[in-house]
Amino acid sequence: MFKLTLVTPQKRLLSEVEVEEIIVPADRGELNILPGHAPLMTTLRAGIFRARLKGETEFKSAAISWGYCEVSPTGVSVLADTAEWPDEISKERATQQYQLAQSRLQDAGLTPDEYVMAQNKSLKELARLSVVK
Amino acid sequence: MASLRDMRSRIASVKNTQQITRAMKMVSAAKLRRAQEQIVNMRPYANRIMKIIANVATTQRVEHALLQTPATNKRLLLVVLTSDRGLCGGFNNSVCRFLEKYLKTEREKFEKVDCIFIGKKGADYFRRRGIAPRQVILNLAREISYTMAADLAKTCMQEFMSGDYDEVRFVYNEFKSAISQKLVAETILPVDVTKSEFQSGDNHAFPFAQDLIFEPAPEQMIDQLLAQHFSVQVYRCMAESVAAEHAARMSSMENATKNAKDMISKLTLTYNNLRQASITRELIEICSGAEAIQ
Repeated sequence: MFKLTLVTPQKRLLSEVEVEEIIVPADRGELNILPGHAPLMTTLRAGIFRARLKGETEFKSAAISWGYCEVSPTGVSVLADTAEWPDEISKERATQQYQLAQSRLQDAGLTPDEYVMAQNKSLKELARLSVVK
Repeated sequence: MASLRDMRSRIASVKNTQQITRAMKMVSAAKLRRAQEQIVNMRPYANRIMKIIANVATTQRVEHALLQTPATNKRLLLVVLTSDRGLCGGFNNSVCRFLEKYLKTEREKFEKVDCIFIGKKGADYFRRRGIAPRQVILNLAREISYTMAADLAKTCMQEFMSGDYDEVRFVYNEFKSAISQKLVAETILPVDVTKSEFQSGDNHAFPFAQDLIFEPAPEQMIDQLLAQHFSVQVYRCMAESVAAEHAARMSSMENATKNAKDMISKLTLTYNNLRQASITRELIEICSGAEAIQ
């Protein structure tokens, strides 16, 4: 068991909550963090963040976009740009935004920067959609 | 001398004004609470990110352009935060007056000083005085969002990185409490890791192990971290300024309500004086009329 803090610039979702394990969308793929993990510092991609709270068997999930995860001996802190619980996400809106991002990706006239932005956007919306389902 | 009817209408109009100021006070109080919450919510994030940067920069000995003061510190970019709307006491005035003096002294030290204005009041004030803004951003109080702060941060950073400016400072009202604001001019670029106010925050500092795993490499990460930190700083300044604006408006509206109350009681006194005087006069007229008949 270890302490988890999940914060975004706009709100504090979890602060010093005891969890059994978490799964984060790390830079090189999904990363499962169990108690006693080696100190680590990684960037996060847009994806699904999952945490199993103390004494529970089910994972609680949230959609996060780009951020950081820091594993230290005292606990884990996740700093995300945005993070939303499933009940905060509107499915229609996410679907709509996802389609919008997808259609933008088809646009041939995008600059590389814009392309990356659209790609990130689509990943983020996809994460939101999969959390709601 | 004002007639009784004039007095009555004056009292009524002051009462109306009082109602408006009281309502505005309530609205500001509610908005202030929300703005305050925003500041409190953002603090842990800012604290953590600063701590991580400090740790990475010191233990991994990473160097970055954003951390260093350019050799020739000649061009200054000021970001000035005011409000879009008035009726908030000395909030905008103090910023404008301060900036006018500040510009005079800084112009001697720097070759070039430019301003970005956030909020209509500041931009208007300096436009009238012939100081053209580089950029004006409006509608801060209505919708203060992290994305907006990140956008501004990106522009500032590009200007800094491309060498257009050597220093970026923010001039804004810092939110101290509901009744006091403090005007500050803060240097936020280049980032000074050593004397960040956030470092003194919650310090359960664990010594960053040398064998810490980085994914990706620290050199790449500090780039993103600093950009993020800078956006958070910009966001913090905006949140502080918005909270200070609401606080200033709340206290000035409270004063206005109090003044209106004083005025009403004074006017009511005069009104009653007049009323009694007219009654007395009428009585005397009746009495003297009756006496004349006898």
